[in-house]
Amino acid sequence: MSKDISRREFLKGAGAIAAGMASMGVLGACAAQTSETAAATAAATEAATTAAETEAAAESVETAAAEVAERVTEELPIPEVDPPEKTEYSCDVLVIGGGFAGLSAAAAASDAGQSVVMIDKGRPGYSGLAPWPSSHRWLDEDIDDAQAFRDCINRGGEYIGNMDWYEVWIKESKQTYERLMDWRILTQYPKASDAGDYYDKKDYAGYREAFAQYDRRTKWVEVLESKGIEYAEYTMITNVIVEDGRVCGAVGFHVPSGAIVTCHAKAVVMCMGGGCYKPTGFPVGGVTFDGEYIAYNLGLPIAGKEFDDFHMTCSWAPGNAFQNNNWTYLENIWLCGGDVTAETAESYATSKGKVMVLDRVTKAVTGLSATDGTAVEDMSEQSITRKGGSVVAETNPNEVRTGKDNDTMFKGDVYGAAVGFGGHLSCGVLCGLDDLVGYSGIPGLYVAGDGINASAPSGAAYPCGVGFTSNFVSIQGNRAGAAAAGYAAGVDLVKVSADAIAEETAQIQAPLAVDSGFDPNWARDQLHAIMAPYWIHVAKNKDTLTGALAQVEYLRDHVAPKLMARSSHDVRLCLEMKHKILSAEMKLRAGLAREESRGLHYRSDFPYRDDKNFLCYITVQKDENGNMTTAKVPVKDAWKGDVNADHEERYKFYFPGEREALGLPPEETSGGWAG
Amino acid sequence: MSVQRFDLNKCIGCRMCEIVCPMDVFRFGQAARKSVLAYPENCQSCGQCFVNCMGRSLTIVDDMYGYAMTAYRATSTTAMNRKAQEVVDR
Repeated sequence: MSKDISRREFLKGAGAIAAGMASMGVLGACAAQTSETAAATAAATEAATTAAETEAAAESVETAAAEVAERVTEELPIPEVDPPEKTEYSCDVLVIGGGFAGLSAAAAASDAGQSVVMIDKGRPGYSGLAPWPSSHRWLDEDIDDAQAFRDCINRGGEYIGNMDWYEVWIKESKQTYERLMDWRILTQYPKASDAGDYYDKKDYAGYREAFAQYDRRTKWVEVLESKGIEYAEYTMITNVIVEDGRVCGAVGFHVPSGAIVTCHAKAVVMCMGGGCYKPTGFPVGGVTFDGEYIAYNLGLPIAGKEFDDFHMTCSWAPGNAFQNNNWTYLENIWLCGGDVTAETAESYATSKGKVMVLDRVTKAVTGLSATDGTAVEDMSEQSITRKGGSVVAETNPNEVRTGKDNDTMFKGDVYGAAVGFGGHLSCGVLCGLDDLVGYSGIPGLYVAGDGINASAPSGAAYPCGVGFTSNFVSIQGNRAGAAAAGYAAGVDLVKVSADAIAEETAQIQAPLAVDSGFDPNWARDQLHAIMAPYWIHVAKNKDTLTGALAQVEYLRDHVAPKLMARSSHDVRLCLEMKHKILSAEMKLRAGLAREESRGLHYRSDFPYRDDKNFLCYITVQKDENGNMTTAKVPVKDAWKGDVNADHEERYKFYFPGEREALGLPPEETSGGWAG
Repeated sequence: MSVQRFDLNKCIGCRMCEIVCPMDVFRFGQAARKSVLAYPENCQSCGQCFVNCMGRSLTIVDDMYGYAMTAYRATSTTAMNRKAQEVVDR
């Protein structure tokens, strides 16, 4: 489409945005038909907003129209990219993934005197979940009642939370906050509405630019460089190589160029996150179960797959993550904690559970949803507890944990912002109930972070831990990095064999050799369509899960082998799709195996907590014949709470159908919000 | 998709969009010293490129990329479709 045509279309009212759509080809142009006019109007209005400062409204629209007509929206051809200068690394400790866990792991291993390489699929600090925390929670033993927090998380996690890992958090969370503060990741700065007219003018880029020196995402590379840690960017690791029973490195490829990248290492820390099928409001699309796929194929047990994500998006703009999260992600990470006391431990767990566990179920099964875009939340009007701030913050001037005070934002009203994403911290490799460093059981291989270590400090439901993920995974990274360094100090480097590199290279490049097959973007949409409905994602039963499993198995057997690539960008998408399909199969099988409801797993055919049979983790593992199997791993007795107490004492809110199924009298108020 | 080109004239070649994108959406044209919005179909609308764009060359819209659900439509890749469209345009 030429520039002339786009001008002509603009005059017809179709607008400059249509020219942008041309770069997407047939598909984008078809999909865009209904929105072109609206988009052009919006673009003109946006430009008009800037011009309106000095000109009358009508005149400014005219000016904007002229500006639109002169804009260039056609893209240049996609260029070839040269391979990176370095494609082979050797080190003591390889850290895969540059988020919070990865940064702490790399720093700990480096501080222990080992040589470290970090490899990230994007840019450290900007990829995975690293850019997105809005709050950071720690416990201060001098101020907080640690026992109240234990009681709260034990109840809120519905008695399958790993209390040993939680104890580590109690002991180490404050020093972890201090470390991140030293790294200037948690530096506080004025929010947009306090810093000028950025908020009123929706001047997002201006606000970021004004406070660019505080932008936490830039600190990752600064920390790495200050410690002399080598890092490789835009490189997707596709396999960790285990030879003769121990880790010897990893293989992957530089995504922009397609060049194969190898790293020989004595020890490997996988900080690769979890994943989702297609990000629709929670921008975690860069994580695609890459680590989970590797771990599963190494024979490791994966736990926590049945628990679903709780992130919400706006029903009127579900695909626009920026619309949903703009100020939250531009402003500093708010400091939280100290908001639970002995008196409130039970009510805190109950109220958080009602909001974040039960609300998603009742909305799904009753159809309550949808706003017109006017529902907003003004944090400045909220109580200190709602903000997640310390109960002593108002009387103790030294208390910095004043809670979330981000600028007013649209309030998400529908779930499913990242379908396939696990409950924070509950999902990943199960390293055993006594592990507190992330040792996988394979000599030299460690896991750390959200989505890859099923440490489950908040058990079946995250609500009572809200805000502690960035802190907790930093603890985990620190511990795994130190353990990996200790291991590496005692072994010699064994290089990845040429055979292993050749085999992995063939796997990586296979989609390029597929002549006729399927576009990975189409496969992504198919998988998302199978897994996103509420009867799979929120309120599940045997029939719906079994039906979805048949669909996913079809994708696995007939579509995945035919995914085809025409560029190294496509290769990434094809490999990611294979990982997503495997992950979906694990999720469905784990969901079928947990024949009860607990936390972020609701089965409408088993709508009750079954303490007798399910105070356990469900693991998914590849058996010796290559088949996917599930198993139960009972949690420690000390984590189960008082198992002799009445059901109504152990649980203070009930899933739809739970009381009836257990023969308990119905609640006075109907629905899940009673009591 | 959500990121769109507002005006390529405004691109100053700082490469920030290419650096910060977690979804591999951008490339950089060395000859023209301009960014290339290469794979907008994989944009997750996180907005990092938009807020980091020093020349204000990018914008964000609500539309999200998705395939119309037909049985065989995706038996070519997005890249192939892009080429087909170029043929149509000529």
